[in-house]
Amino acid sequence: MNKLKYIRKEVSIPDTFQNIDNWEVDRRKFLRATLLAGAATQISWFTSCSRQLEQANDYLTAEQSTILKDILMIIFPEDGNGPSANDINSFGYILWVLSDNYRKPEDNEYIMEGINWANETSIEIYDQPFIELSKEEQEKMVELFTEMEWGKNWMSVMVTLVLESLLLDPIYGGNTDEKGWQWLDHVAGVPRPTEETRFESFIHKYKPGQI
Amino acid sequence: MHDICVIGSGAGAGPVIYELSKAGYKVVVLEKGPWIKTEDFTKDEMTATRRDAYIPRHEDEPQVIESPTSSGYKARSTDEGGSDFQNGSCVGGSSNFMSAYFHRLKPKDFRLLSEYGPINGANVVDWPISYDEMEPYYTKVESEVGVSGKVVEHKHLEPRSTPDFPYPPLNSNAVADWFVKAGSELGYNIIPAARGIISTPKKDRKACYHSNYCGSFGCASDAKGSSRAALIPQAVETGNCEILPNSKVFKLETNENGKVIKAHFYNQTGVAQEVEAKIFVVACQAIETSRLLLMSKSEQFPNGLANNSGQVGKNMIFAGGGAGSGILKYDDLSEEDAKALANKNTFVNRCLKDFYEIDDPTFEPCSTSEKGKVKGGTIDFLIEHSNPMPKAVRNKYDNGTLLYGSALKEKLITYFTDQKRVRFEIFCDWLPNDNCFVSLDKEVKDKWGDPVAKVRTGFHNRDIEIGNYLADKAMNVLKQMGAYEIGKSVTGNPPGNLIAGGCRFGNDPKTSVLNKDCRAHEVENLYVTDGSFMPTGGSAPHTFTIYANSFRVAEKIKEHISKI
Repeated sequence: MNKLKYIRKEVSIPDTFQNIDNWEVDRRKFLRATLLAGAATQISWFTSCSRQLEQANDYLTAEQSTILKDILMIIFPEDGNGPSANDINSFGYILWVLSDNYRKPEDNEYIMEGINWANETSIEIYDQPFIELSKEEQEKMVELFTEMEWGKNWMSVMVTLVLESLLLDPIYGGNTDEKGWQWLDHVAGVPRPTEETRFESFIHKYKPGQI
Repeated sequence: MHDICVIGSGAGAGPVIYELSKAGYKVVVLEKGPWIKTEDFTKDEMTATRRDAYIPRHEDEPQVIESPTSSGYKARSTDEGGSDFQNGSCVGGSSNFMSAYFHRLKPKDFRLLSEYGPINGANVVDWPISYDEMEPYYTKVESEVGVSGKVVEHKHLEPRSTPDFPYPPLNSNAVADWFVKAGSELGYNIIPAARGIISTPKKDRKACYHSNYCGSFGCASDAKGSSRAALIPQAVETGNCEILPNSKVFKLETNENGKVIKAHFYNQTGVAQEVEAKIFVVACQAIETSRLLLMSKSEQFPNGLANNSGQVGKNMIFAGGGAGSGILKYDDLSEEDAKALANKNTFVNRCLKDFYEIDDPTFEPCSTSEKGKVKGGTIDFLIEHSNPMPKAVRNKYDNGTLLYGSALKEKLITYFTDQKRVRFEIFCDWLPNDNCFVSLDKEVKDKWGDPVAKVRTGFHNRDIEIGNYLADKAMNVLKQMGAYEIGKSVTGNPPGNLIAGGCRFGNDPKTSVLNKDCRAHEVENLYVTDGSFMPTGGSAPHTFTIYANSFRVAEKIKEHISKI
C-alpha cells in the first residue's frame, strides 16, 4: 500500500497520527514506547542501512545522529542562498547543547524524544526508518510534523537551535568561520567570549556547582 | 556591629552605600548574586540572553505570576516557563543590564491626584514630597552616576538647577535626524533623550565605545551607569564598605521594641548566617523587597515586617504603555542615506514628550475627566537592538506558520540585509490598583525552602487607552518617515524589567508603608530605597528616579545615624 497518500495535506490525519496525538497527552509514556520500538529495530537498521551512518557520540546513537543531521538539512538546506546547516555545523552545536547541563535535563531529553518520534512516525507511515527515506519523503515527513501539535512544538525548538547555530558565537560550535554573521551582514559585539569568559567558564566562576 | 546593613546593591542601594561609606560609616552589603567583574561582561548572547546567566535559574528561585484572563486570574510558576520578573541578580543588580533611558519625572508626576483628579478603580495619590525636593538629587545622579544628553526647551521641560547634562550626547545613527524631521512635519517636537551612559571618561570608567549591545548586556567599558561601576568601587575604596556577594537574606529579625537587629542570610553554600547593624536598608528590587518584609514575621509584626497596616506588597506598579515598529527599506533611500542607516550604531536617543499631558477633547478620557485633561507619557524612538537572535527568532513564523527551509532563509536574508526596523517605546503610568500586588505563595518554595513571591498583575484600562493614544502618535511619525509594516503592541502585560511600588511612601501610616524619608512608619531603623517607595511611577523608566531618591534618602539616613 502506498502510504504516501496518508500524508497529503487534503487527507485527514490517519489513525496512526490520531494515536500519536493521543500519546501527546502523556509524552513520557510515548517516549518509553518509542524507545522500546527503537530498540527492537536497531539491529536491522545497522545491517540494512545503505547510507553511511554518523558516528555515535556521547549523546546520540549513530542513527539518531543521522536522523538529526537529515532534519537539520531540511530546516536549513543547501539551496544556494547562504550557508546550510552542515556549513554552520548545526549538528555540532546541538551536541554542545546536549552537553550543557545548565539546561533542565528534560529540555535535552525533549530534543532526543523528537528524534526518536520522527523515526517511529516514519516506520508507522513508510515501514522504513527515517534515514532510509528519500529526501522528498523526509521533507514530507517534516512538513507533517509541523502540522501536528507536538511535532510543531518540537520543530519550533529545532528551528531555534538552528538559528542559534547560525548566529551565536562560533566558540559554541556553530556559525563556522562566522559564516552566519557574514551571510546576514552582522557585526558581532565586542568583547566576544573567550575560553575564559564563555558561558561554561562564567558559570564555573560565578555560579559554582550549577554546571 | 555595622552602622548600616544594605540588602541589595542595585540602583536603589548604590547611592546609600556610596554616600554612607564616604561619610565614614561602616556599611555591609548583602547581595544575593555574585560580584561579576567588568572583564567578564562580554557581548555573548549565549551567556546574557539565551541562558540568562545573570538571573537565578527559575527552578531555583521561581516566582508565581497571577495574570488576568477572561476567566479570572490564572497563576503559574515561572519554573513552568514564560516571562518573569528577574532582572539581574549580581552586584549592581539590574542596573548592569538597563538600557539607561534617563528621563526625570515632571513636577505634575508628584501630584497626580491633585493635577488630574481621581480615577475610578485606581489608587492614585500625590507624593508626600515635591519635585523641588527631588531636583537636587536628579542633578547629583547626572554628575555622580553620569548622564549624557542635551537639554532643549520643550513645553514639558521640568525645572533644572543646571543648564545641561554634564556629559555631551552620545553618537547616534543618522536615522535620529529623520525622526526629528518627520516629527517636525507633523508638528511634533522630537527632542534629544538623555542616557545614563557617559560619553567621556570618568575616573576609572571609560567612555561608551558603542558596542551596540547595550540593554540586557553588561557594559565592558563601565560607561553605563550601573551601581556596580559608578558607585560601589568608590564606596569600597573608602575602606568602610564590605560587599558580601552570594548572600541571600531571608529574614530581618526584630527585638522586643520592634527595631530590626539582625539580617539573616544564606551564604553561597547554603549556611545560614547573620549580621547586626544599627540601621537596615532594603533595596532588592520591588517584588523581592515586599517578599522579604512579608517573610520577616515576628510577635510585633505577625503579618510581616512593617506590615501592621497591611500595606506591604500592595499597589505594585510597572511601566504602562507598549511598543511598536516599522521597517525602513534601503531600496527606498539614496545610496548615501542607505549607507547611513545601515551604520551599526543603533543609538537614536530621541524622544517625544509633547503628549506628556493630553488635553485633546476628541480623546474620550479627556472629555470625561473633570479637569479636561489626562496624564499622557513619553515616546522613545530607537532602532532594533543589534544582537541577532531576537531578530532571527521573530522571523520564525509567517502569519502563524512555522518557517523552515528556503522560506526561512529567504526571510532572514531579507530582514537582516534589505531593511532596518525602527522602533518606539511608550511609557505611561501603570495606575496602582487593588489587583496589582505581591503576597507570599502558599505552595511554591525557592531552593532554600522559603515561600516565593506571588505577583498579581492586574492593570487599569486607562493605561491601555493612554498607551494606544501615544502609540498612534508614534506610528504617525513612522508613517511620515516612509516606514512599512507599521504596528504597535499595547497590552496590560507588565514589562518584566520596570517594577516599583509595594511599599509606597506617604504621610498616613494607615495607607502607606514608608514615611516621606522612606523610613518605615512602624520600624524606626528600617529604610526601603528601591523603587518600592513609588506610589505612582510617572511616565518614564523608573531607574533615574530610583537613583535620585536613594541619594535623597541617603542624606536622611546620615542625619538619622549621626544621632544614634
